[in-house]
Amino acid sequence: MGVISTSSRDAESRPVMARVPLVKAAVLGAVILLLALLVVQPFGWVLFNSLHDDATGAWTLNNYARVVRSAELIEPLVNSLILAAATALIAVGIGVPLAWLVSRTDLPFRRTIRVLTLTAFVTPSFIGATGWILLAAPNSGWLNTAWRWLAGEGAGAPLNIYSMAGAIFVCGIYTVPYSFTMVSSALDEMAVELEDAATTLGCGVLRTMVSITIPLAAPAVIASFILSFIQGLTLFGVPAFLLTPTGIPVVTTKLAEFYQLFPPEIYLAAAYCMPLLLVTGALFWMRRRYLGRKQYVTISGKTRAGRQIRLGGWRWPALFLALLMPLLSVFLPYAALLLVSLTRAWGQGLSWENLSLYWYWWAIFGNSETHTAIVNSLVYSTLGATLCVALGTLVAYIVERRLMVGASLLGAVATVPIVIPGIVLSVGFFAAYTRAPLNLYGTPLLLIAAFAATFLPIAYSHGGSILKGIGPELERAARSLGAGEARTFLSITLPLMGGGLVSGWFLVFIPIIRELSVAVFLITPKTNVMTTLIYNAKDGGNYEAVCAMSVLLLLITLFLVAVARPLAGLTGARRTSRKTATAAGVPS
Amino acid sequence: MSGIRITNLRKSFGSYTALRGIDLQVPNGTLLALLGPSGCGKSTTLQLLAGFESPTEGEIWADDVLLSSPRGVLPPERRGISLVFQNYAVWPHKTVAENVAFGLSIRRLPKAEIAERLTRALRTVRLESLRDRYPSELSGGQQQRVALARALVVEPSILLLDEPLSNLDAHLREEMRFEIRQVHDLLGITTVYVTHDQSEALVTADRIAVMKAGAVQQFGTPEDVFERPANAFVARFIGSNNELSGTGEGEGSIRIGDRVLTAPDRSGVARGGSVSLCVRPSKVRLDDDGGLSCNSLPGTIVRSAYLGEHRDVLVDIGEGRTIRAFVPPERRYGPGAVTTVHLPIDACQILAPSA
Repeated sequence: MGVISTSSRDAESRPVMARVPLVKAAVLGAVILLLALLVVQPFGWVLFNSLHDDATGAWTLNNYARVVRSAELIEPLVNSLILAAATALIAVGIGVPLAWLVSRTDLPFRRTIRVLTLTAFVTPSFIGATGWILLAAPNSGWLNTAWRWLAGEGAGAPLNIYSMAGAIFVCGIYTVPYSFTMVSSALDEMAVELEDAATTLGCGVLRTMVSITIPLAAPAVIASFILSFIQGLTLFGVPAFLLTPTGIPVVTTKLAEFYQLFPPEIYLAAAYCMPLLLVTGALFWMRRRYLGRKQYVTISGKTRAGRQIRLGGWRWPALFLALLMPLLSVFLPYAALLLVSLTRAWGQGLSWENLSLYWYWWAIFGNSETHTAIVNSLVYSTLGATLCVALGTLVAYIVERRLMVGASLLGAVATVPIVIPGIVLSVGFFAAYTRAPLNLYGTPLLLIAAFAATFLPIAYSHGGSILKGIGPELERAARSLGAGEARTFLSITLPLMGGGLVSGWFLVFIPIIRELSVAVFLITPKTNVMTTLIYNAKDGGNYEAVCAMSVLLLLITLFLVAVARPLAGLTGARRTSRKTATAAGVPS
Repeated sequence: MSGIRITNLRKSFGSYTALRGIDLQVPNGTLLALLGPSGCGKSTTLQLLAGFESPTEGEIWADDVLLSSPRGVLPPERRGISLVFQNYAVWPHKTVAENVAFGLSIRRLPKAEIAERLTRALRTVRLESLRDRYPSELSGGQQQRVALARALVVEPSILLLDEPLSNLDAHLREEMRFEIRQVHDLLGITTVYVTHDQSEALVTADRIAVMKAGAVQQFGTPEDVFERPANAFVARFIGSNNELSGTGEGEGSIRIGDRVLTAPDRSGVARGGSVSLCVRPSKVRLDDDGGLSCNSLPGTIVRSAYLGEHRDVLVDIGEGRTIRAFVPPERRYGPGAVTTVHLPIDACQILAPSA
């Protein structure tokens, strides 16, 4: 008695075919449609608009000609490149030594420094800029005041945050965590055996570092330089806060300016996105090429704790230098924001009577605008992260398991937003969804979709790396026992991804809730979020409220980070020991 | 249960040809071992049988049901073929009982029947006491038995085993061989067993298909492939073997260097073609003259290793050729000693290199 229920057929040699897998077809169709709507379409509109005339709507190269010819449009490009290069230099110049100190030496309080760097990592840089405006605004900045108090009234004000130097400084200190994280994880994952091998051959500590450790970490250093460069190039908040008031334009703020003109120069803006895209695209391509050749980055052995280099008498001076970073990026700006937010009226100075939680109460309950923004932020981030992770995971699954012809093309599409600066994506979404038949302007859906699209590459690559750890045999076993593809995905693949998906969700949620540049053209008063509210309110002069909102956003973010780390580890910990999951993933 | 018929099965991945047209008939209830070195196409054959790949050419039939052809493939879940994987693929997020019962719940059997069959399956593989454990709490051998129970509980018409023992330690592997054979004798399910270990194949299989480079070299009983290998590759792959390559001289003779040796000729190669003389080391005799008709060659001892049950002696017979002989352990040979190698003609075979 066979289990095959299919009736045997006569010699007509054609297998009893499967039913058309309806579920699979529907899911594939939905994924393709969503990718088209979220990525292809907005980007396509940017390209299309850049080639059209604002007034007549005819095809033209005029927009590009204007970008190239007008000195007024070249200057922001140059400024952007200066900002980007300086940011990258600071990030690598500080981040790499810091990473080495934390990963390879007996520096005291290494864990604390890691945690503080993570705190700086999740701090939105425009909020850091707000803090630094309080600290180093010309004349009124606290550090300037402190300087005058020390050096006498005539000493003047040495610091001016509203300058290129100021912007470079703020961009730099908030980009350091990127290079720090990349290089320190490269150092942590490096097989100790590689260094030990050199030591056993008679290499001293310093020689080993120079001829083994540093070359092995070089790819991570270079990759982090490129990433920091891109960061400096595409940041919108910091230059908008620090450079726009003094009239120094960069590409991102210039793009925003096109939208504030009347009538807005949307088609010129589209063309103006292209140089930015070209540079980021080229940089990502370089990074990929470079990392592709240096395969040894990922070489790792048993990662036990590496041999620590004793700093001896340098321990405490090194700690002082290492603490300078958290001081500048976390303690000082956080303290400034917190103090201002806790005063009823900042102008009346610090006194017990002036201290109150009024502005928090005001932001959360008292003012309908801020209340709405807080609710919107939470709701949009939740929905956006969910959509993003669901779509990214499905694409990763389709690509990993080659469920359709051209699957890798889907993966490529899902990765595209990584090279698109947030502000450009915003331009694209504005172009795509402010016209019929998909006029979503003013609806929450527009922001949710834009957020999901922006962080799709994170969700996709995260999903892919989880799936790589789950051997296809686990799914095939279910198939051979009679489960269809959908059933297999739901009862085997999804539960196995479990904990990883939770951490992936946070990995997307956190950048969404602090994202400013994507939202900036897409919001309406009804769909305002916390970041755009802070951005729009800081010109209003109500610094107490801005600071209270900023602190609230920071608290939410830090809370989520604190929750996410243990939570992601906890889910399914009892059942899925890591050992079995990897053992089961060993390819035959 | 059903028999398997594979006709002219070919599979290419891009420009790489994994299978070059294989034909196999597996009668109902037979245990077939697909034996060969890695890359020989045995795992590809298994994937095709399970329905995870579609053939480039050829057909796979289960009795009179066409399972696979280039025109279409019955999906794995509708074949009634169970598969046990090399790494067991026991789901780490399900308990032993949940793993084993999965296939039954897919079939929407009544609860009582699921419970009954589950208990019976767990008893068969002696895992009743571990039913609520998670795989991370099991040893490799226990996970292996979970995988086997999970595959068998759905009463498949065909069972596929993909190197099921290769992740176990040597001792356990030997024990599990007999266990698999025992289960097969008990249930009589048509089974295809992929392995690169010849002794696993000899112990468990009714039929062995020796594969190399995407082609079946020999298809026969264990006795057939061991005693009458179809070619020098099969002789080399199964058991220990001495192989002296030369050219066919016709009428059961082979020219090796400037010597001509005689042996039963099963090569089917014309005079002048390249053939090999194969002889098992256990049949090779040194020094003594048993009076049998032998090919006798002078040689020098290169090394001699004591292996307990016999002594493994390597003899240089000149022109860069060596012969291995297993001789009784009490006979001692020192390197450099001169000896005579006797190759009994009945134990020698002249074979073609490979198919």
